[in-house]
Amino acid sequence: MAGAMTVCRKELADHLGSKRYIVLFALILVLSTLSAYQGAEYIKNNPQAGFIAIFSGAQFGFSFTSLMVFFGPIIGLSLGFDAINKERTSGSLSMLLSQPIYRDSVINGKFLAGTSALSLLAVTTVGIMCGVAMPILGFGPAVEDVLRIVLFTLLTILYLAFWLALGLLFSVIAKKTSTSILMSVATWLFFSLVIAIIAALVASVLIPITIPKEASGGNIGRILRSPEFRELLQKRFAIQMSIQRVSPAYLYNEASSAILGISRGGLGFIGPGGGKPFRSLELTQGLTASWPQITAIAAGLVVCFAVSYMLFLRLEIRPGG
Amino acid sequence: MPEPIIHTYELTKYYGDVKAVDHLNLTVYEGEIFGFLGPNGAGKTTTLLMLMGLTVPTSGTATVGGYDIVKESREVRRIAGMLPEGAGYYEDLTARQNLDYIGQLNDIPKPEREKRIDDLLGAVGLTKWADVKVEKFSRGMKQRLGIAEVLIKNPRIAFFDEPTIGLDPQGTKEIRDLMIRLNREQGLTIFLSSHLLYEVQQTCHRVGIIRGGKLIAADTIENLSKKIAEKGKMVIEFKLTEISPGLIREIEAISDVTSVKQTNDRLYVYVESDKSREVSETITKHGAVILLMKPKEHTLEEIFLKYYERED
Repeated sequence: MAGAMTVCRKELADHLGSKRYIVLFALILVLSTLSAYQGAEYIKNNPQAGFIAIFSGAQFGFSFTSLMVFFGPIIGLSLGFDAINKERTSGSLSMLLSQPIYRDSVINGKFLAGTSALSLLAVTTVGIMCGVAMPILGFGPAVEDVLRIVLFTLLTILYLAFWLALGLLFSVIAKKTSTSILMSVATWLFFSLVIAIIAALVASVLIPITIPKEASGGNIGRILRSPEFRELLQKRFAIQMSIQRVSPAYLYNEASSAILGISRGGLGFIGPGGGKPFRSLELTQGLTASWPQITAIAAGLVVCFAVSYMLFLRLEIRPGG
Repeated sequence: MPEPIIHTYELTKYYGDVKAVDHLNLTVYEGEIFGFLGPNGAGKTTTLLMLMGLTVPTSGTATVGGYDIVKESREVRRIAGMLPEGAGYYEDLTARQNLDYIGQLNDIPKPEREKRIDDLLGAVGLTKWADVKVEKFSRGMKQRLGIAEVLIKNPRIAFFDEPTIGLDPQGTKEIRDLMIRLNREQGLTIFLSSHLLYEVQQTCHRVGIIRGGKLIAADTIENLSKKIAEKGKMVIEFKLTEISPGLIREIEAISDVTSVKQTNDRLYVYVESDKSREVSETITKHGAVILLMKPKEHTLEEIFLKYYERED
């Protein structure tokens, strides 16, 4: 364990000093601060919304949650995608493994360092958002809100750590960093864009909705309002949702809405403003509702880490890398 | 008799179907510089990786400093340091930071670590560059930093894998001198893997010749040379003031002399047994003066090639 802590300290120092981390941190911080302003404006206009709405209530589509949905994968992946293979190609790995440490110390230390850097990012951002919103609103979070914020921050860390673990896995699988960066970008695009398109496509193929040719101005409205049509739409939406649930980003979005006590008006994620938020769920209800999503993200993390751990332990150090 | 520090028993490693190391039996003694000689791909690096516990043998065992290389590989890495071929460093850290990291991984307490780092940077001649990022270092400087990283744990044995490859003559000499000094002054056992015959001849007490993963000879260079000489003939080299065909004929007449060859101003006399006395008497009788006379020793290259040919 001593070895893992040494590796972790060094890697954390590397992260905190790296341009990559600083740039992403700055980007998230700036966008989050802006979204906190917008959230505060929203709360002013909607008195029934609580303090918690600063994380979800922003207009123009960049509330903190949607920021995380979109940027979370790239933040996590970017801290992990070259963790092992960079050291492999540079030759520092064989030097590192010639020291009296167990091999798993290296991967544990690297994961720990990445998670710490991500936690720092999440906690700082959430803290600054609260700090920005309070003077504007003139009131702070209630006790329950504080609990929600803490849980929400933990969820965000878990979510980011999942992407970190996936990046770590790529760095063990791919020998070259150029390969693992491509894998990371592909994954990011797939889960944040492509999957929504696929879901919509599959849903529309499975549940075809045809508007009769003879439909004209008058009866279109009638057709759209008919219960059969609504049922079709709901079926379609259900299929779309279950496909999108493959994406950890979608799961995170659902779980964070539940924890923050906000339910959304049936819109997909990255919808502008996330639909019409209103508080509907008690904290315990929210936790219960989000538990499957949280478990799924945690399971994904464990699987990614376990696989990279095993592959790394079996990694054959060969002559010439 | 010095204590053995490395023992391998039938050490074998397959990469898929390819046999990299084949039933290797090897002993290295404490305090010596052992040269591990063989062409590229002979299994030198694989052997080192197995001894350091970076890769697991397919079969066979070995001990380093009394520790089993599979079951106690962490203990092995405590007492043994390795400078792998193509070793890399953390480019955006300074030399001191790189050394400090390795020191920490070896659980060296801070005050001692700092002192040792200063000493080592001095020993490898990097004091001036201590706080410069490694990315600015030349190959030779990086290699010296690597040696410092090996030494920071105060190892009993150091493995150097092709340490002078890609270095200029100056850098090569510095590394060689450093190895010899470490061995002499601190009694460090050095296991030098190399395919550079001259380098091995310059630095090593004993050499092991490996081929196709098998050890085909292990002894001092002198003994290896003798073994070859016993099989063949001895050659005596002469430099004379004058060489005449008559003289050559007369030397050839001496018993046990098999042939005489002239190359420029040199005369090479091939004999079955030591006939230097008879040959020089003959020359003097002929009125020529001997300017130089020496038994021609086998160069390591000849030894090496002989051992290789024998296997064919």
